[in-house]
Amino acid sequence: MENMVEHLAQERSLEWREALRKSIKSKDRTSLERIDMPEADPVERAKGHIEVNQGLSVQMAVEESRRCLDCPDPTCIQGCPVSINIPKFIKYIEKKDFAGAARSLKETNALPAVCGRVCPQEIQCEASCFYTLKLKTPPVAIGHLERFAADWERKSGNMFIPEVAPANGIKVAVVGSGPSGLAVAGDLVRLGYAITVFEALHEPGGVLKYGIPEFRLPNEIVDVEIDNLKKMGVEFLTNFVVGKTATIQELKEEGYQAFFAGSGAGLPNFMHIPGENANGIMSSNEYLTRVNLMNAAHDDYDTPVLLGKNVAVIGGGNTAMDSVRTAKRLGAERAMIVYRRTLEEMPARNEEIKHAQEEGIEFLNLNNPVEYFADKNGRVNRIRLQKMELGEPDASGRKKPVPIEGSEYELEADLVIVSVGVSPNPLIPQSIPGLKVSRWGTIVVDEKEMQSSVPELFAGGDIVRGGATVILAMGDGRHAAAGIDRYLKKKNRSAS
Amino acid sequence: MNKIISIEHLSENVVKLSIEAPRIAKKRKAGHFVIVKIGEKGERIPLTISSSDPEKGTITLVVQRVGVTSHKIANLHVGDSVTDVVGPLGLTTHIEKFGTVLCAGGGVGTAPLLPIVEAMHKAGNRVITVLAARNKELIILEEEIGGFSDEVVIMTDDGSYGRQGLVTHGMEEIIQREKVDFAVIIGPAIMMKFSSMLTQKYNIPTVASLNAIMVDGTGMCGACRVSVGGATKFVCVDGPEFDAHEVNFDELLTRLGGFKDEEFKAYQTFLETLKKEVT
Amino acid sequence: MDLTTKYLGLTLKNPIVVGSCGLTSSVSEIKKLEKQGAAAVVLKSIFEEEILMDVENQLREARENSFIYDKYSETLDYIDVHVKKEHLDEYIQLIKAAKKEVLIPIIASINCVSSSVWTHFAGHIEEAGADGLELNISLNPSDLVTRDFEQSIKVIIHKVLAQVTVPVTIKLNNSFTHMAKTILDLSQTGISGLVLFNRAHTPDIDINTMEAVQGKSFSSPNDFVESMRWIALLSDKVNCSLAAAKGIHTHEAIIKQILAGADVVQIVSVLYENGIESINGLLSGLEQWMQEKGFSSLEKFKGKASSKNVGNPAVFERIQFMKYFSGIH
Repeated sequence: MENMVEHLAQERSLEWREALRKSIKSKDRTSLERIDMPEADPVERAKGHIEVNQGLSVQMAVEESRRCLDCPDPTCIQGCPVSINIPKFIKYIEKKDFAGAARSLKETNALPAVCGRVCPQEIQCEASCFYTLKLKTPPVAIGHLERFAADWERKSGNMFIPEVAPANGIKVAVVGSGPSGLAVAGDLVRLGYAITVFEALHEPGGVLKYGIPEFRLPNEIVDVEIDNLKKMGVEFLTNFVVGKTATIQELKEEGYQAFFAGSGAGLPNFMHIPGENANGIMSSNEYLTRVNLMNAAHDDYDTPVLLGKNVAVIGGGNTAMDSVRTAKRLGAERAMIVYRRTLEEMPARNEEIKHAQEEGIEFLNLNNPVEYFADKNGRVNRIRLQKMELGEPDASGRKKPVPIEGSEYELEADLVIVSVGVSPNPLIPQSIPGLKVSRWGTIVVDEKEMQSSVPELFAGGDIVRGGATVILAMGDGRHAAAGIDRYLKKKNRSAS
Repeated sequence: MNKIISIEHLSENVVKLSIEAPRIAKKRKAGHFVIVKIGEKGERIPLTISSSDPEKGTITLVVQRVGVTSHKIANLHVGDSVTDVVGPLGLTTHIEKFGTVLCAGGGVGTAPLLPIVEAMHKAGNRVITVLAARNKELIILEEEIGGFSDEVVIMTDDGSYGRQGLVTHGMEEIIQREKVDFAVIIGPAIMMKFSSMLTQKYNIPTVASLNAIMVDGTGMCGACRVSVGGATKFVCVDGPEFDAHEVNFDELLTRLGGFKDEEFKAYQTFLETLKKEVT
Repeated sequence: MDLTTKYLGLTLKNPIVVGSCGLTSSVSEIKKLEKQGAAAVVLKSIFEEEILMDVENQLREARENSFIYDKYSETLDYIDVHVKKEHLDEYIQLIKAAKKEVLIPIIASINCVSSSVWTHFAGHIEEAGADGLELNISLNPSDLVTRDFEQSIKVIIHKVLAQVTVPVTIKLNNSFTHMAKTILDLSQTGISGLVLFNRAHTPDIDINTMEAVQGKSFSSPNDFVESMRWIALLSDKVNCSLAAAKGIHTHEAIIKQILAGADVVQIVSVLYENGIESINGLLSGLEQWMQEKGFSSLEKFKGKASSKNVGNPAVFERIQFMKYFSGIH
């Protein structure tokens, strides 16, 4: 930690940083207004799959970067799960050295273009920005600037490939190519390890590909970041289900010395209410996979997707928002969120809720489905909903939704997307004898090293957390990479 | 990419193809299935593995032309490749020495039945197999099945081969003739429904291997959920085999038709494109 | 000797049903009960309140787990859905396993305090193979708000009957304002049976420590009178089967309940106090009495002492027994 503080101070004292700081008075910097992210018109964007957030222009980015005070104690970095040197990359933007900004992002973050889009900066770096903490004014738009730098570099066609240490010949297997797996791979390949990423689906990217829709994170951007990892030497094996195609034990026999399980939250939850197995009722995982990964909405792709006139999405998380906004884009007349608590208690990001509202999504809060009805062909056509009121706070600290007796009514819906969370994928835990798992089926790991009860197995992301964000998964990946490095160094030292 | 080593047309619409998949060939056991995808824009569909050759590193799949993807597979040639093959997925068949095991295969259901017949035979069971189909054309793998069965009964709807009648007729005769300790049924959902009702009548423990709509095949999407004895199960990770007497076959039948309109439309469009390509 | 009786449309080999309790929570115990002669068992209840408590505990545990707890976690938001599913799955497994291992009817039991999603469990329970469903509706009369409990029970019944085709029976507690009318009304809602009564949790006070403590856990042999009164009064008027429960410890109590018009009795406490072998003794006591009295079957004396058939029905109707003894009419 001290090293880190020293290192940051040293970089901050570089001549160019000092010169930049002196070029504008702090008072003038703080008087600048935060630049808003330009957004596509809600009516227009809801018709297609164009990105909602349009990205900052060069001029906007440079202007926003001037707000950053380049604080001597950059609290923002503590708010970042992957510890990006935030003032450094922002000052590169102010200096108009955008390639430099991108390069410094990549020192700690394998996927800056992704994080710049999907991180909840409002509770991380931006929540601990000097502006938020001390001035009580809007923070520097760190997320928007991160995205700007990454996008600029990609569009320049000249991607910086981080330097890789000489190969050490030690094989490490990464299970799952979602955010945590990619973060582990990025960090370890740089240290010279031979990394193989095993992916069960036919394309790498995990939830970034099948889950997050195009209008929030275009698949092309994920592909570019994966390509960079390939260029750094990471090997990707798709159509490979660890635990099935080969077990961890078998891979060990093939020479892999350490494993990272980032297989995600695999199993979608249902509510087990009557009629839930009717056609036209599916998990958000299924719906989003069909649309995002399988391109089901395009005629020239073979995978079908059901379209609905009245679409109800059950749940209040980001996945629910992604599903309901996708339904709107696929032509739903009514696209509705059905959530049993109030708007304030939704686990979805405020920005997503705001975007959904702009696009005409209806919010049926304090409503809970209790039964589904189907037409003669077995396709859902109505939902029986029960109204809820908020009762006493439960152990999670939020007020508990309590059904109001006699308040049930029916709602027309011909497509229902159930988005009530996911359980950890049991494939890995089941295939490893002696692995310690929690009562929720998540792999239990040591908080610092991300090491499981099986010494050579490390884990992170949703398989450890249940259902979390991309950036927390990436943070886990970075910690696990460091843990794996320490574990292998120690092991190979004692072996030799 | 998985190269096609051999193709055999079992009938006009049924092909048996052996493809390179060394890891799967090594790992697979009776009951396992794979998910395949044809082309970059293809759909992911589940297919049960019919047999494998671990030495050559190949697995054998049997496919009946029913929709876009199966049609595309049936049109492939030796040397072509199947874009994506992933597996082996699902749980393996529970094999033990039961005594007399009655195996019933309907149509292409005979293909996934083959490894089970083989395993049951090798476990020391007396195996009697009933193969049923609409007509002679659709009776497949008779010889292979015969190799591991003490007796094979053929039933066709139109009487064009074997005896005329439904699979249940053939099964009931055997059940009435001798003591059956265990039954395995694989075929179209409707065939399994009636076969299961039959064995339930005679109190014979029975497993059915379910075919369901799937996307990923690893439990992630939940498209393949079925009701088994009051609980919702995922065919891909909890199955594909379940206690037949507990399966809600009516729900399965409805769910199999979940994308009927979309699939029909896609298949028609696809057939027209094919026609255009020919002319 | 024909001990068979009809209960909820099911033919039972004798009138002894083991009530919902710890003994009916495992398949091995249920097998033993069957061996001892029990004609049917009511499984240990799937307990709404217990599940709600588990939800609270898990939420608390999750909140303390830095990996699980996060503002944007969707897992935490729906932990209750998962917990309920787990409990239900466990219960479904119990039903299935019990159905596989024993031949006697298995009656599942739901203990609920509200009519929310719990009523929907009924459908799953039926699919699992239960022969009947007993609803133990514990509406708490100790809160100081006026509630229409009768109405609430009817709502629950209505919802459950919409879900299942297996017979449904309601286990009541004996704290209703108009007991006779309540029993009569409920018997006409389409349910197949009523169980009279539920044993309420009994509090006590320790006079040494002057603290509230748990009271006696088992019923007393005199408790059977509570239900016998209503069964005698109403057995020829209700539209469903009647089961007598609470305080049935002897074969005499069984005989009295059947004479009053009960179709079956549910026993629990006696099994804990005297062991499950006591079922045998209860049955032989019943048979011996029937022999002495010359009854070849249960049907021959069922309801023989109900209010309709006895000379002085007032004996069941009177509440103020001083009046009865003084003979003032």
